[in-house]
Amino acid sequence: MATEQLKQEIKEALDNATLGRTLGNFCRTYPGRRLTSYAGVDFESNREDLRSVKAEAAEHVDEMIEMFTKNCEARGGHVFHSHSSKEASDYIRNLCKELGVKTVVKSKSMASEELHINKLLGEDGVQCDETDLGEFIIALDGKTPVHMVMPALYLNKEQVADLFNDNTEYQSKPEIPEEVRVARKVMRQKFLHADMGMSGANVAIAETGTVFTMTNEGNGRMVGTLPKTHVYVFGIEKFLRRIEDARFIFKALPRNGCCQRITSYISMYTGASEVTLDKETDERGPKNFYAVILDDPGRRKILEDPNFRQIFNCIRCGACLDVCPAFALVGGHVYGSKIYTGGIGTLLTNFLISKERAAQIQNICLQCGRCKEVCAAGLEIPEMIMKIREKDLQESPDKVKKFALDAVSDRKLFHSMLKIASAAQGIVTKGQPMIRHLPMFLSGLTKGRSFPTIATTAFRDIFPTIIQDVKEPKGKIAMFAGCLLDFVYTDLARDVILDLNSIGYIVDFPMGQACCGCPASTMGDTENAIKEAELNIEAMHAEDYDYIVSACPSCTHQLRQYETFFEEGTDMYKRAKELSEKSYDFCKLFYMLGGLADEGDGVPVKVTYHDSCHLKRSLGVFEEQRELLKHTKGVEFVEMDDHDQCCGFGGSYSVLYPEISAPILEQKIENVQATGADVVAVDCPGCMMQIRGGLDARNIPVKVKHTAEIIAEKRGLV
Amino acid sequence: MSNITDELYERFKSNLEGAGGSCVRTSKADLGKTVAGLFKEYGADSACLCETPLIKEAGVCAAMQDAGIETHTDHIRKYGETAIGGCSQTAFGIAELGTLVQADTDVRAREVAIMPDYYIGIVKGSTIIPTYDEMFFEIGKWKEMPAFVGFITGPSRTADIECVATIGVHGPLKLTAVVVDDE
Repeated sequence: MATEQLKQEIKEALDNATLGRTLGNFCRTYPGRRLTSYAGVDFESNREDLRSVKAEAAEHVDEMIEMFTKNCEARGGHVFHSHSSKEASDYIRNLCKELGVKTVVKSKSMASEELHINKLLGEDGVQCDETDLGEFIIALDGKTPVHMVMPALYLNKEQVADLFNDNTEYQSKPEIPEEVRVARKVMRQKFLHADMGMSGANVAIAETGTVFTMTNEGNGRMVGTLPKTHVYVFGIEKFLRRIEDARFIFKALPRNGCCQRITSYISMYTGASEVTLDKETDERGPKNFYAVILDDPGRRKILEDPNFRQIFNCIRCGACLDVCPAFALVGGHVYGSKIYTGGIGTLLTNFLISKERAAQIQNICLQCGRCKEVCAAGLEIPEMIMKIREKDLQESPDKVKKFALDAVSDRKLFHSMLKIASAAQGIVTKGQPMIRHLPMFLSGLTKGRSFPTIATTAFRDIFPTIIQDVKEPKGKIAMFAGCLLDFVYTDLARDVILDLNSIGYIVDFPMGQACCGCPASTMGDTENAIKEAELNIEAMHAEDYDYIVSACPSCTHQLRQYETFFEEGTDMYKRAKELSEKSYDFCKLFYMLGGLADEGDGVPVKVTYHDSCHLKRSLGVFEEQRELLKHTKGVEFVEMDDHDQCCGFGGSYSVLYPEISAPILEQKIENVQATGADVVAVDCPGCMMQIRGGLDARNIPVKVKHTAEIIAEKRGLV
Repeated sequence: MSNITDELYERFKSNLEGAGGSCVRTSKADLGKTVAGLFKEYGADSACLCETPLIKEAGVCAAMQDAGIETHTDHIRKYGETAIGGCSQTAFGIAELGTLVQADTDVRAREVAIMPDYYIGIVKGSTIIPTYDEMFFEIGKWKEMPAFVGFITGPSRTADIECVATIGVHGPLKLTAVVVDDE
């Protein structure tokens, strides 16, 4: 649930103009730049290989630790296997004492940040310096990283110049090349005189005892070349068995992380490599080399949990952040575990840092699924975040959310509430207190979006008046309307029926149907989701129909999930499975049943298309509707930029986080306008409500129509 | 080992240029002159040189000194703090990425490659491997990992301020690969 503190942090992030501009720009251009860097590389097959080598190491983690230890020690290294972050930090602190270390230079190690080692060593009188430029800047600013790969992008060059001028002996103009030169001078002195270098590993190879570090700036190389003592700190998730396995990681990491085919430096250290011991005498010899393996209970918990074990496959590339519509707006400070940010950060925070913090920040996820598409290891990030959400709701059910959910799952209460809303239309649209009593996802009277009109007559009452003139029907389809078609977009529900009639199918409307349960599932309320599934399985009676059609992808997705709610072999499972298997989204079904035809009134209309997250990424439907539209006579089809980027609706999300939802919608509207289209076609009534509301509030005369409506209109079925 | 083909050389060169580096091709006989010329062009009046049999045979050190460059072949850690140039031989190249691959136990090879402003990496044409994957297969075949293996692709870089790509942070500001034709 959104706490006041989190709300405040979100507000601060949104108010930071630099963050908005830099991060926004970065995230906008990221998908294209990333794709370019993958030219000639098969992302999917690398993803499979990467997953398999990572999973193999995770399954044999104890063997990996033992093998790495043996091989690293055989080459003169020292290995410390720590069972908690405290053990690890104590070991390093003692080491510094024993060796008389007074200064440490660090190249990025997120594991060492888990230990709070900079602070602890500082207490011992040891000066610890971050050497990555971004890390160095945020350390001067006293802040934590805003992004895993680009920690300082919330600051502009003027602010960086101020930080340098106030905190270093050099003066810099607010020009980036000069600032970089100043950083080089400042850090160079630190590299030359540091007693110890501390690094993080991207990969650790068990068979050879080798650790890898990837950098662009060369600070990793400095840290590994100059100081006489070198300490690596890394978690047990970094292991791989064979040296060749590492190639899958370094094929994905630079491309996903910084859209580069490779970074400037990839360095592999095996044991105690040589170092210059005395620069005056030119004496050289093996360095003091230590590998501190972090094997804390949080990491073991991830490994033990079959739902979360895949987190071990993460290579910390940050791609899930770069494509996240919410992250693009608020950045990493809001995710606030101070170390790990974004989608994967929410999960890592849950296990490694703070469960309480994770429970809050998981709310920021829209469940749009974009992160899963680009993940180097194919992690099911949205599903895992949902699991955390479910757990959180079970452990501390929030009263406000629960109220809305209980109402939605109680069909009579829900329907009567909607009818009251309908009768009190004037009040609702003017934003009076009435809206508080609507189900969360319908009470979205937020800034920059108009609220839709609730139908005066529900579709369930209209249905019996529709005449279905189908000669020699090919089959019978049951319609699952879902809340928005039943109570708001009743014309759309009618058009779905007319379209299906036109290709020879009769459509039925089982009256007992209730909310699909998606809002409950999205909020993590499995109890109510199951209750609704039971109601609908009973009501829809899938056994009597050839297909179930829905014109809302979120409903379709939910119907298709029903079988997972029940134990295999039970009667409910069998019935749920039949319903799941017969359920299709309108476009898919209409296309499948031969609906594609070169028909239409030929009147010119320019149409662009917005992909719903559920339809594209959960149901995998994105070609059929485009084909249907392109073949419609009169339609000139034009793609908009970021057509599969979330519109910001996300069910109850737009109500819980209007401050994030609104700017996401703003971007969508800009992209729509840029196409010069007359109509935005959509296949999701939620997206329709969101985008239509946004256009309407801005008085932009672009229409938003469901594909089913466009087909009915252009083919003269209405 | 057979010498590098023109096609492979061009691939290596264009990929290195894509990563912000530069590349020249020369014979062993002209190696000294080439390296000295590059340093002069950059304005490097002092440099550290990590010698290998090839570098010695080609007389690189003498050629640099003849060109008036203050050249250090020992005490590299010390002189590396102020030298403008650095030069060493790397074990391999990867054409697909324009990458130089170091495989050294000698720390001096690493010091000259990271400390000075301008680094020149000498690589034999016959040791340039076509692809990234093949390089990893090659490493996998080694009986023992060298204490240090490093891939270097272009000069050091950052995008940490306002996401603006900027060349030259802690490592070299400029990098040139000199590909030597095998005799």
